[in-house]
Amino acid sequence: MTSVLILNLAWQISTLALVALGLAIVFGKLRIMNMAHGEFVMIGAYAPVITSSLGLPGWLQLPVCLLTVAFVAFILERVVIRHLYGRMFDSLLATWGIAILLREAVELIFGRGYQSVSPPISGTLSVLGSDYPAYRIAVIIGIIIGFAALYWWNARSKVATRIKAMVGNPDLAEAIGINTARLSAGAFIFGCCTAGLAGLILAPTIRIEPMMGLDYLIRSFFALVVGGLGSLEGLGIGAGIIAGTQSFLGAVVSQTYGYLAVLTLSILFLWLKPDGIRSSSR
Amino acid sequence: MLKSTTKLLASAAMALTLGTVSATADIKVGVLVPDSGPAGLFGPSTRNSAKLAAEKINASGGINGEQIELVFADVGVPPAEATQAALRLWKGEGAQAFVGMHDSAVREALIGRFGGQVPYVYTPVYEGNSCADGLYITGETPSQQLAPVIPHLAEKEGVSKWYLIGHDYNWPRDTNALAKGYIADAGGEVVGEEYVPFTVAEFDSSLQRIKESGADAVLITLVGGGSVGFNVSFAGFGLDERAIRLGTLIEENTLAGIGADNADRLFSSSGYFASIETEGAASFAADYSAAYGADAPALNGLGQSAYEGLMLLAALANKAGSLDVAAMDAAAEGTTWTTPRGDNTLTGHHMAQTIYLADGSGGAFNIVASFDNVASSEACSN
Repeated sequence: MTSVLILNLAWQISTLALVALGLAIVFGKLRIMNMAHGEFVMIGAYAPVITSSLGLPGWLQLPVCLLTVAFVAFILERVVIRHLYGRMFDSLLATWGIAILLREAVELIFGRGYQSVSPPISGTLSVLGSDYPAYRIAVIIGIIIGFAALYWWNARSKVATRIKAMVGNPDLAEAIGINTARLSAGAFIFGCCTAGLAGLILAPTIRIEPMMGLDYLIRSFFALVVGGLGSLEGLGIGAGIIAGTQSFLGAVVSQTYGYLAVLTLSILFLWLKPDGIRSSSR
Repeated sequence: MLKSTTKLLASAAMALTLGTVSATADIKVGVLVPDSGPAGLFGPSTRNSAKLAAEKINASGGINGEQIELVFADVGVPPAEATQAALRLWKGEGAQAFVGMHDSAVREALIGRFGGQVPYVYTPVYEGNSCADGLYITGETPSQQLAPVIPHLAEKEGVSKWYLIGHDYNWPRDTNALAKGYIADAGGEVVGEEYVPFTVAEFDSSLQRIKESGADAVLITLVGGGSVGFNVSFAGFGLDERAIRLGTLIEENTLAGIGADNADRLFSSSGYFASIETEGAASFAADYSAAYGADAPALNGLGQSAYEGLMLLAALANKAGSLDVAAMDAAAEGTTWTTPRGDNTLTGHHMAQTIYLADGSGGAFNIVASFDNVASSEACSN
């Protein structure tokens, strides 16, 4: 019982952290309340559907996923998002409309029905005395390595500092030679690409249909509300608390109580500690 | 894009053919389909099946010698709006009968609104025990889907320990209440029962409970996306090697989402599958693809049920000699008619029908057993 519970916790927390990463960047750094975040996860999950319907080999799933998501994000940034930096409520309405548009577009191309994707690694592994899906183990390890690399890069790179300067005072940032238009576009596209990557990685383990994005948007918001915006630590803490609560209570009591606890936690945080546990951006 | 253009042309052509028919139409039949909402996936196949039924009815002389014309409304909306939409067809466009493929909340609202003044055929799988004047039901009820199937699986697959999992609402609970009786009668036992909220998208903890329970069979009454997510993870954890699965609402779209890799020993019980090989079903499927093309919305039990509903309406109205509810109610008991599903009989306003058990292994339904003339124990007393 316990070893599977631990592995389930690791799976839920790591995948939620990956899904919420893009939202943390776009919402936390650029102050764009991206309601279309889940739709980028959805588009990423459709990448294997695109490659198989075009008859392309499996290894092209990753490039197709990133190119598709980056292309959509680039167009949206140029047409809509760039006018809305710093206007959080306007961005919420605009991206909600974009979310509907993206769902309808995918429905038009692939239909309303469910799609399925085979995992690249099948079968189960015996870990800590219990059988666990091999693909999930690989994903958990991959996400841990990915986040470690991101943390290392974030601590050394000047990009994070430039973004902070840009959000804090755009005019001053421009004056000292930061190309804010390119920087914010880059951050937005990068955030969307991580969401698409999350969708691609999760695809073999979930349902795939045009409406699937909503689940991921809501859980990501919960994680950010609890963890706080603007830092990787906050993201990790938020994902840990939200996914951990659902997963643990779901296992020992029932799924209903797990979900109830997640909702209660999110409301309490919004009410009593709106900046979350860890907030480095203000 | 090309595909949607061809579809558009096909439906335009379809509208033209129907248009020529409607010029001489005397009876309007309201068809209530889910174009939006959670069941929106089934809207297109429902419409297509209904149109095929109307052509068939008109080709064989219509209802009491009069041609019929279908008028559609979207009922994939909350009950109050759905009732308004039905009312527009009834009072506004003069529909004289209704056939509906929608959820139970909408059905109950419509029963109240119609008040037994207009015949109303309800067609999807449902929980049973809905009775009213002028209400006739073609959908499978839990007793029909389970009474013959559970003993069959117990014998053929040698399973005895059942775990019951469903979404938390009345259809799964009513289904499981009956299932417990059939499982006990077949010499089996229930080793676990669980209901999950619709908002839950991951089933890891449920799967762990199933594994620990030692179940060798799982009865699934999760619906739609929840069923897809559950079944994908079920196979991911290798539980498909330990237990068979039986679902009472796993149709072709759900199976496509579950995928070939995850469907080993996944059984489904239903009155219709696109892969039924009887002569009636095969010719229906051929007509469907001839009318709507090879890439038309896939046939499935819910969509096809609209065809069943219209055929019942025609058979019953022809037997009664009118579309008057009192006359139809008087004539209803024992009405027989034949459809792609097989030979049907109306008993207690419900449809006694052939029930098929299909194995989804390999990602396509393969009919492994059929049970003729299964009557519902949740029908109405006359």
